[in-house]
Amino acid sequence: MFRYLILIGMLLCLAACADSSNENGGKTLVSVWAHSGQAAEREVLQTQIARFNSQQQAIQARLTLLPEGTYNGQVQASALADDMPCVLEFDGPYVYNYVWQGKLIPLDDFLTPALRRELLPSLMVQGNYRHRQYTVATFDSGLGLYARKSLLTKIGVRIPQGPDSAWSVAEFNAILQGLRKFDVDGQVLDMKLNYSGEWFAYGFSPVLQSAGGDLIDRSEHRSANGVLNGAAAVEAMSQLQSWIRGGYVDPNLDDAAFTQGRVALTWAGHWEYPRYNKAFGKDLLVLPLPDFGRGMRTGQGSWNWGITSSCKRPGEAWRFLAFLLRPEEVAAMTHANGAVPATRIAIARSPLYKAGGPLHLYARQLADGYSVPRPQTPAYPIISSAFEQAFRDIQNGGEVQAALDRAVAVIDRDIGDNKGYPPVMMHRDEARTDD
Amino acid sequence: MHRKRLWNFVNYLLLSIAALLFIAPILFMVVGSFKPEAQVLSEMGTLRAVLPSEIKLHNYRDVFVRIPFGRYLWNSVLINGLIVGLGLIVNALAAYALARLQWRGRDTLLVVVLALLIIPFEAIAVPLFYQLSALGWRNDYLVQVFPFVANPLAIYLFYSFFLGLPRELEEAARVDGAGILRTFFAIVIPNAKPVFATVAIVTFLLYWGMYLWPLLMTVDDGVRPLPLAIATFYTLPPVQWGDILAFGVMMVLPVLVIFITFQPWFVRGVATTGLKG
Amino acid sequence: MKRVLMIKRTHVSEKTIAWLFMAPALLGLALFILAPFILAIVLSFTNVRLGSPLPVEWTGWREYARLMDDAAFLHALFNNLVFALVVVPVQTLLALGLALWLNRPLRGRVVFRTLFFMPVIFPLSLIAVVWILIYSPDANGLMNHVLRLMSLGHWQTKDFLHDPLWALPAIMLTSIWQGVGLQMVVLLAALQAIPAELYEAATIDGARAWQRFRHVSLPQLRNALVFVVIVTTILAFRVFDQVRIMTQGGPEDHSATVVFAAVQAAFDRAQVAKGMAMSVVFFLLVLAITLVQRKLLKQTRD
Repeated sequence: MFRYLILIGMLLCLAACADSSNENGGKTLVSVWAHSGQAAEREVLQTQIARFNSQQQAIQARLTLLPEGTYNGQVQASALADDMPCVLEFDGPYVYNYVWQGKLIPLDDFLTPALRRELLPSLMVQGNYRHRQYTVATFDSGLGLYARKSLLTKIGVRIPQGPDSAWSVAEFNAILQGLRKFDVDGQVLDMKLNYSGEWFAYGFSPVLQSAGGDLIDRSEHRSANGVLNGAAAVEAMSQLQSWIRGGYVDPNLDDAAFTQGRVALTWAGHWEYPRYNKAFGKDLLVLPLPDFGRGMRTGQGSWNWGITSSCKRPGEAWRFLAFLLRPEEVAAMTHANGAVPATRIAIARSPLYKAGGPLHLYARQLADGYSVPRPQTPAYPIISSAFEQAFRDIQNGGEVQAALDRAVAVIDRDIGDNKGYPPVMMHRDEARTDD
Repeated sequence: MHRKRLWNFVNYLLLSIAALLFIAPILFMVVGSFKPEAQVLSEMGTLRAVLPSEIKLHNYRDVFVRIPFGRYLWNSVLINGLIVGLGLIVNALAAYALARLQWRGRDTLLVVVLALLIIPFEAIAVPLFYQLSALGWRNDYLVQVFPFVANPLAIYLFYSFFLGLPRELEEAARVDGAGILRTFFAIVIPNAKPVFATVAIVTFLLYWGMYLWPLLMTVDDGVRPLPLAIATFYTLPPVQWGDILAFGVMMVLPVLVIFITFQPWFVRGVATTGLKG
Repeated sequence: MKRVLMIKRTHVSEKTIAWLFMAPALLGLALFILAPFILAIVLSFTNVRLGSPLPVEWTGWREYARLMDDAAFLHALFNNLVFALVVVPVQTLLALGLALWLNRPLRGRVVFRTLFFMPVIFPLSLIAVVWILIYSPDANGLMNHVLRLMSLGHWQTKDFLHDPLWALPAIMLTSIWQGVGLQMVVLLAALQAIPAELYEAATIDGARAWQRFRHVSLPQLRNALVFVVIVTTILAFRVFDQVRIMTQGGPEDHSATVVFAAVQAAFDRAQVAKGMAMSVVFFLLVLAITLVQRKLLKQTRD
């Protein structure tokens, strides 16, 4: 028994002490955690790490990839055990919660005025919390509809030319009905119902905003009542429900509804462009989401980078991030994942996103204020999860008002339980940047 | 005689149909793992769902490209081997003390062990995670092993077996002057092979698919076990069902080998643990 | 007398040896099950949240009071009861039926036994993913297709896992399919351990097949059946993986279970205290049920 105890003790120590050294052959070790995304994206990041390590001698970046679907849970688990990397990637809107927990340091001292001007305004807004900038990113996202031109012309509809000429809901309903006449199973729209997690808040909260509702009252971030379950939100969600329950939406279990030609329209993001372009080429249209009444709104935000408060050498960590933000590195990444490049130079150079490019719509949506950042509050994870549940319930035929009321109750109770998320840890962060 | 033969035939036919229904999902999985992605779903409603038309290995190749399969497999084997191996010793000793030795507190402890059987691991995963995080213990092999070595179910199975073992053997040995230790190691263990096989298989099955705990406790590919790869395949769109099925086949293969090897012992062990309680 | 003599000879008392034998297991159980469980009880009386920088405060019975009018939790509790009430008898009877079937003079018994046991060796996390495909709402989906064939085309395609009526039964079917093989092996082994003389004697007395089953097999199977029922009940209450992977408790909590709800609260929503309160309530409930079962189904010792 004693040997057993000693063994455990030794192992505990081994486990605890193993990662404590930050030096690696005279080089500073910078640990980097990122999500394991699509193969192409993953490979680019790996080559970027290798390139960074070979271009200079002082810093050694070491990459750990974690699966995307469980990424946030894993980071939270590690955070609790104080087992954090230096450089952390995370899904954009989670930044506020990480900051509130005291896990991230502000990047204001590192961001040069030139770089601030260079980065997309959507990114600067999203990474800002209580007047400090906590994130940078090498790309942003685009959300819209993909359609097949040949099918739309068959039913003779107006093709929107930009974010300001989106279809109205009435037009969209007529289009769904029109397309249905030419469809075997009557399912003409793909809303990526096979996705899980963040997709619902990302992909469908713009619908609420376009209708005049939102996920939460943004003036104080204290309550979702009357906003998420208000008349506008209920009407918008009822509209989505009528499409799904009316049999217009393909369950898309194989994620091939669009590529196999089972549907004419798909509600999706920039990441599908390479696949869809390969399948349909010139026949593929990239269109804005429908306008639910108060002007079209779309999503924004993607994976962002931050520096953790447990990082002993934030300066070195920043050098790695600055490297990723170089135009050629941004171009390499966005070339691989098809996302909107984060810097204006990179956009201008991108054949996809420059004026006249097939995805220029996305760049315009982000630059001209059509995109809405997800709520800038540490309560965001609970908002997202409550909205996902509400969406699922509505999708499955539940009563819309009741489903949204439940989500509001969950969100408001969470905010109450957290005393409105007072900024208790923020001073400690600021002190840390000085060492 | 004729009727009997006919009855026999019908019996086998019905049994075969039942067995086929039973393994249809497994057949579907194995066959699907050799199909091009587009056919996995589209052929589900046809006989092709369970009958292969051609065998393509690209899903298997994908698995090796997308995850370090060999490394994960080795990690899983090591972790499960340790859980099972250490568990056999620790739980058998405890069960023997509960079943055969005379000491105060025995009955109380027996009730406690049985009560612990009820607690699902998922229910205590968070506090355990807090506890070990406070020690900074995470992200290695042993944090995936130690919490599962002492196991109320295994103790219960051993306990049931030892209760059912004829006392005469042990009493004879002890009349001959053997102490408790000698009796246990020289008489009881050699007679308990079936129950060891049963407990080994049951605990192995229990932990081979363990997901929540390593998800919380590990971040390095170097120590992560196989089930976590399901997250890689399943949560990242587009879901490649063919890859998942191929991965599944490869994940179950080692279990199948172990089960078939130990099956005779296992069945005998089940007989003796299930009977008494 | 014998015992006393021996203890003197071995120098170490039986009591000491017993505690030595118990020590490693006790240490493990105490550190990794009991301690976290006590911690769970303690945490359930606080406001602790995953990752929260706010100071931890005692909140007394708040979480428990909230659970009592938390529709989602009560629904999950109800689902657990339904699940156990259906799965335990169906699975046990099915296992008994299969075991009796295989316990006849039969060539290839081992083969059939292995086939029926096959699903058991598949990890639940994997099984669940495969069954998502089987339950596919696509007209091609395996389950939908089989039901259409069996109903001669009358079956209307269903989205089982997203249908309030079908989600829980779908999970039940998967669970029964996956688990029945193990119980069958236990019962079959017990059947085969029944001495042949007992049957012979009964046959000589003129007992027919049903009477032989009723008066010979059943009493002899009693302990095995009790074991199977108790273990199945506990496992049925613990159902988790299937729910998390196949339905995430939906639609509208129609397939949520308590363990799922507890994990969802503690991990996905950072509400550790709430999750812990659920776990404690759950433990007490299953403990009560198990105790009642043991009283009712008293196993015979030796």
